[in-house]
Amino acid sequence: MDDQPASPQGKKVLCIEDELFISELYSRALTKAGYDIVVELDGMKGLELAQSNQFDIILLDLMIPHLTGTEILSILRDPSKTPELKAKIIVTTNLEQRDDIKSTIEQQADGYIVKANVTPRELVEFLNGIE
Amino acid sequence: MDQLQQFIRASQAYVYLLILLAQLVGVGVWWLTARILALDTVFVLISLVASALLIPLLILPVITKLFTSPLKFVWQAILYTTPETAGTKAPDIANIKYARELVTNLVTHIYQLAHVGAEASAAENNKGLDTNFIAQSLPLPLVVLDKDDTVVFANSALTSYLERPADMIQGQNIHSVLDLSFGDENTFDAWHANAKTSAPTATGTWERVRLTIPGEKPTVKLLDLAAYYSKDNVAGYETMLVLFDHSTAYAVENQAVNFVALAVHELRTPLTVLRGYIEALEEDLANTSPEIRQYIERAQASASQLTVFINNILNVAQIDDDQMLFTLQEEKWQEVLPNILKDLEVRARAHGIKITTHIDSDLPTVGIDKVSMYEVVNNLIDNAIKYSTRNRKEIIVTCKRGEHDLVETTIQDFGVGIPANAVPKLFEKFYRDHHNRTRVGGSGLGLYLCKTFITAHGGNIWVRSHEGEGTTFGFTLVPYAQLAAEQKNHNNTDSNPQITRSAHGWIKNHSLYRR
Repeated sequence: MDDQPASPQGKKVLCIEDELFISELYSRALTKAGYDIVVELDGMKGLELAQSNQFDIILLDLMIPHLTGTEILSILRDPSKTPELKAKIIVTTNLEQRDDIKSTIEQQADGYIVKANVTPRELVEFLNGIE
Repeated sequence: MDQLQQFIRASQAYVYLLILLAQLVGVGVWWLTARILALDTVFVLISLVASALLIPLLILPVITKLFTSPLKFVWQAILYTTPETAGTKAPDIANIKYARELVTNLVTHIYQLAHVGAEASAAENNKGLDTNFIAQSLPLPLVVLDKDDTVVFANSALTSYLERPADMIQGQNIHSVLDLSFGDENTFDAWHANAKTSAPTATGTWERVRLTIPGEKPTVKLLDLAAYYSKDNVAGYETMLVLFDHSTAYAVENQAVNFVALAVHELRTPLTVLRGYIEALEEDLANTSPEIRQYIERAQASASQLTVFINNILNVAQIDDDQMLFTLQEEKWQEVLPNILKDLEVRARAHGIKITTHIDSDLPTVGIDKVSMYEVVNNLIDNAIKYSTRNRKEIIVTCKRGEHDLVETTIQDFGVGIPANAVPKLFEKFYRDHHNRTRVGGSGLGLYLCKTFITAHGGNIWVRSHEGEGTTFGFTLVPYAQLAAEQKNHNNTDSNPQITRSAHGWIKNHSLYRR
């Protein structure tokens, strides 16, 4: 992955994350790398934004107010509720999931990150690796 | 038997009396004839012989009838109870005069035997219906295999449990019907292979077996399993498996693991922030004093050490609960290893230690779960850093092709070493070397995890150490081709090779990435 050229210019990222420090760190690192990032703390509003289909990448935390990340994920992947998204959905979490939820995420998300194991700079590298 | 003896004795008495009577009659006739007619002695003798010969002939039918009459009743009873001659009249026991007791008993016995026989035969006739009925109405999923491990019967509980029609189960190999995974090497397959070679019949039970039911949304069930094996069964049924789904009950027990997961979450969130800001500070290191640079490096090294520890806790909880899954993918170890080491160099440098590598480029590709191997190298390097001494601040990592094409990696430090008596226990959970415990922090989980992970990869881990001179840890990884061949022999189902399920991270159709 290291040898892949970063070409994030203009790519729009929606970060649904309620931990202020974490969203601030991601915002800082992604902006610096050339991404266009929008942060949303609330699950409901995050879902609305995601459904507007203007993003290339969605970073989705699982423990957020009003709607959980897994709920958002299922709505975004339900053709009757959301038209096909162009965005790649990357689940970002620090909570180890139960097996059944884990397999649902595997089915529905395009990527999965344990936040504590990935620094902001590494997150940028990770996102650069997404076509 | 007494009645038979009585019968024989009575018969002997009757025969004796009859013969005696006949002889008396004969002698009487001879005497009278000789007296009245004053016959010639020769004639009398001839007539005597003739009568002696004729009289038994005359009484023979009487004797025969008398002694065979019990046989007639017994025979009648047999005919009466035989289905083929149904309609034959029952013997009239009331009319039995001779050997009455014996005949009555014999007839009663015949009736009893006939009854038992009829019951058994009825059971035999209903056998197919009954077992099928029982198997079908059993509320537990049940599957029967022939000697080639092909499913020859699956009850309706199984078809609905797997949500697969019966014709997609019957005639299939068991491995493509049930995707089972076991906590240790005590697997159904191991038991089955052993039973086939060594036992006429065998039973096996397993707890907390993981069953993956494929589909659009694969589901994972936790169940207990019971199996029965019977060699050369005439019906062609050799092995039977019964599934006891305890997913709900085990889910409750898993609360303990969920607690660990929750605690880990609480630890990880501030750690994420900590690591993020340390990294942000790093960007401006050029403008700061060497002292500050060193402080930041140390903070960073400690934060990543804490990350490893937190992951260790979670991994151990999952291993203990049999929730750890590995999907081994083909990788070039000579490329993966330097990437892992690159991250660890920062930590080593913070402790003033240099990592030297000797990695051969000509190595076979290996089958690994990158995340787990990252943990292994992380833990081994972490140990080497912790136990290094001032004498020689270096860690040497080598990687070369070993015996049987296994890829062998060693991590050598020149630290305090491990006392010989501590070596055998080194890979046990929570084991800490008492000699070293006071000086160096640690949980006693790292090496246990290393062994578990390496073993899960099919490799071996070992240690060589001299006190005061240093320690070398080594492990082997199995070439991918070898693993793939084994997997093909063992199991003809194809697990999804694009998805790696593990604790830390993945991207679909992409190389795995995590720190």
